[in-house]
Amino acid sequence: MRRSDFVSLCLLVAAPVAAEDLTVVSWGGAYEAAQRHAIIDPYARQTGQTVTVAEYDGSWAALEARGAEDGWDVIDMLSDQARVACARGLLLEMTPRSLFSSETLEDFTPFGPDRCAVPQNAYARVMAFDDRAFAGVKPTRIEDFFDTDRFPGPRAIQRSPDGILEWALLAEGVPPEQVYGLLSTDRGLRLAFRKLGTIRDDIIWWEDPAEPADMLADGRAVMAAGFNGRFFDIAQRGRAPIDIVWDGRIIGIEVWAIAASTKAPDAARAFIVHATQPASMARFATQIPYGPTRVSAFNRIGINPQTGVPMRAYLPNAPQHGGRALVRDSGWYANTDKLRQRRFSKWLDGAE
Amino acid sequence: MRMLVLTGIALTAGSAASLAAIALVELVSLLNTGLLVAPKARVQWESLPWLVATTTVLVPTLGGLIVGLVHKHLSPAQRPLGPPDVIEAVQFHRPLPGLRSGLVSTGTAALSLGAGASVGQYGPMVYLGAIFGSFAHRLRLGVPNLASIAIGCGVAAAISTAFNAPIAGVLFAHEVVLRHYATRAFAPVTVASVTGYVIANVIFERPALFRIESPGITHGYEFALVAVLGLVVAMAAILFMRLLLAVGPTLARWIKWPELRTAMAGLAVGLTALALPDVLGIGTSTLRFATIDGAFGLGEVIVLICAKTVLTALCIGAGFSGGAFSPSLLIGSLIGVFFWTLASGVAGVPSSGAAIYAISGMMGFASAVIGAPLTCILIVFELTRNYDVTIAAMVAVVFSNLLSHRAFGRSLFDVQLARRGIDFSLGRDRAHFAALKVVDYLQPDAVTATAEDAAQDVSDRLQARGWREAFVLDTDGTLVGVFTPGAQGTATRVGSDVGPARLVFHDTTDLAEAMERLRGFVGDAVPVVSQENGTYLGAVSEADLVSAWLDEGVRLRREENAAI
Repeated sequence: MRRSDFVSLCLLVAAPVAAEDLTVVSWGGAYEAAQRHAIIDPYARQTGQTVTVAEYDGSWAALEARGAEDGWDVIDMLSDQARVACARGLLLEMTPRSLFSSETLEDFTPFGPDRCAVPQNAYARVMAFDDRAFAGVKPTRIEDFFDTDRFPGPRAIQRSPDGILEWALLAEGVPPEQVYGLLSTDRGLRLAFRKLGTIRDDIIWWEDPAEPADMLADGRAVMAAGFNGRFFDIAQRGRAPIDIVWDGRIIGIEVWAIAASTKAPDAARAFIVHATQPASMARFATQIPYGPTRVSAFNRIGINPQTGVPMRAYLPNAPQHGGRALVRDSGWYANTDKLRQRRFSKWLDGAE
Repeated sequence: MRMLVLTGIALTAGSAASLAAIALVELVSLLNTGLLVAPKARVQWESLPWLVATTTVLVPTLGGLIVGLVHKHLSPAQRPLGPPDVIEAVQFHRPLPGLRSGLVSTGTAALSLGAGASVGQYGPMVYLGAIFGSFAHRLRLGVPNLASIAIGCGVAAAISTAFNAPIAGVLFAHEVVLRHYATRAFAPVTVASVTGYVIANVIFERPALFRIESPGITHGYEFALVAVLGLVVAMAAILFMRLLLAVGPTLARWIKWPELRTAMAGLAVGLTALALPDVLGIGTSTLRFATIDGAFGLGEVIVLICAKTVLTALCIGAGFSGGAFSPSLLIGSLIGVFFWTLASGVAGVPSSGAAIYAISGMMGFASAVIGAPLTCILIVFELTRNYDVTIAAMVAVVFSNLLSHRAFGRSLFDVQLARRGIDFSLGRDRAHFAALKVVDYLQPDAVTATAEDAAQDVSDRLQARGWREAFVLDTDGTLVGVFTPGAQGTATRVGSDVGPARLVFHDTTDLAEAMERLRGFVGDAVPVVSQENGTYLGAVSEADLVSAWLDEGVRLRREENAAI
């Protein structure tokens, strides 16, 4: 037994929380089902607590509006939303050192817990293509997404500046570590929109994250920008031969956080410690292709119980993927929301 | 034993210098974020434009004021220190300027860079590396020239860490600092450089300060274009260096208080940055933009080249602490982009893209400034690992160096040193001979006389000491001439028989000059007089000068060819 597991077990056993009930808030759908199966149900069984699962839209505004009233305890959030919520005092602060051993803290990837949030899984915005559309050479790099000469056909892109600006600069040869720095300058934004302009006539916009995979499946697009889990879903259900290009993947991190208004802080902390053990993360990642945020969990990931697919290859942050990877800079996202929206609308109007 | 000592010194100086270089980079980046110099920090306050504008103007200005005040009150040297000081210390085996001056200079460098002054970080890094090496000066470990070698180690490790370029680190230490390739120095410097690389890459996994990816060169004639670009950047580099050297003295004449000079330069940077934020700081993002086709319009790039050149000269001339290398990289790459825009956009020549020209221009310009063509070529090679790009950059570098060496001097450092009286333009040995003054070889028993002395007395004294000439002085001790007994034969008083001295040295005369003037001289000694008032100081014998020349020659040969 790893020392970290031992510490967390002690916490579970010793904490005087057995009688408390816990409300965990998540996103619903297949994602929540996987969480229930891999994390929430085992926790309830071990501790005898009653865990209620609520659903929300993921925004810090919803937490502010409903958190106290609905008795939310543990919340599943995007790390940038958690950052804003933390700054606004909506989250309970914790000391990572008291929850995890120093070995465990080093085990986290790409970053560890901070004062409000503990990373739980990684998803990615990736480029996918319809294998039927390119008979010969297949696209392999982000540059190919912008190359309509070699790879003609419509591209499905979210009608928002998220992700596509990063890709535009990556396609200009900017190394991942410089992308957000360059996008912070006027010149960087101009260059990104210029690159986006080169495929303007081939863009087909989507707004619901489920759409890009459908667009590939029904032939409305030959390439798409979307979330890895959705592409995996369509491909594994055999609906369409969709292939994912891992180059240029933008990895986002989901975190666990505790509402500041919680009545059961001890139980909430114990839940988070349980949920972020390698075994819990690995169980979750075999259900749905969201990668663990601890290095040691990768070795435990096996076969998806429904499809029989070995899941390691489909995790966005699996160490075996080559190519460029970018970790979504949540601080930058939180700070540049208005600017990006403004410039994006301007570009849509043709003024950029 | 010596091997162990050298390896130990290399590992210690190398790791210390490398860690310190990383710390400096981190500190600067922290300051850049905190002081809203970094684009990522500026963009968070994008909704409050007045705040960004105010800090843009105030931060470099106040930074300049503080840098100026700190130099004035806390640094014994009263100025920023840099590679020229390192070169001087290493070449003449002297200690570096005091540790306190060095630390103050490093601190102000962090502040200058952090506040967005248009200066570079490599100069301070080199100096910081040298500080760690210079601690070896206190050690007595029985290895000749150990301190110089240790400083070389520190410098190599700093460069190797900064660029992720261990080979370039080794070459920089030899090409610029040590200026010889003795095995005794080469081996430990290489060890230190690799140590720096290991620490930066393996232990800290730091990304290179800039990474270049390039497809290579598609047309053969582009090598000719790059050669022309080399000449263009050389001309720009000469202008830049002349401006930089002229600004300091001019500003000193205009503004009496040194802290106001730096504050004024900071204000100039801040005001320019309001319209042209690219001039702020090291310009890492601007350097990246230069490698992207069409990131700059033609007009924009011209304005930016001029602004960056003038502001860098102003900042360094005014006394901000920092080097000229990073700004050189930036200006050079912008000139490369300008050249590429003209060639491919205006003249319509098909080319392999802006990146090749940006890199060639960058290295051509920088190599002219630091006088290190091999280092620059290897930096390109180690950063791109691309053979074509390296060869293109190499062509630009040599053409640039050809012109700048001929029209300006080997490097900015050498010209700065020459202004302090240390001239490396005719090589290392010449500089060493020039550092030895004839006044240090005076013969104590040279014979002097006054005009009133009896000729016979003087003649006897000369014979007793084995000299043939006496130096005749007047009552003030000024040299009047030379008295040689038996020349006319019959004089009773010295005064009636004084001939002019055929050769006179001054107290400023150095060994190199003396040896040249001794050509064709017959006689046993040369009088040395004060240049100020002609007072006789003593005489040096020809034999002593020749021995000094030979001894120094042997010492240099030993140092340059030492095995271990």
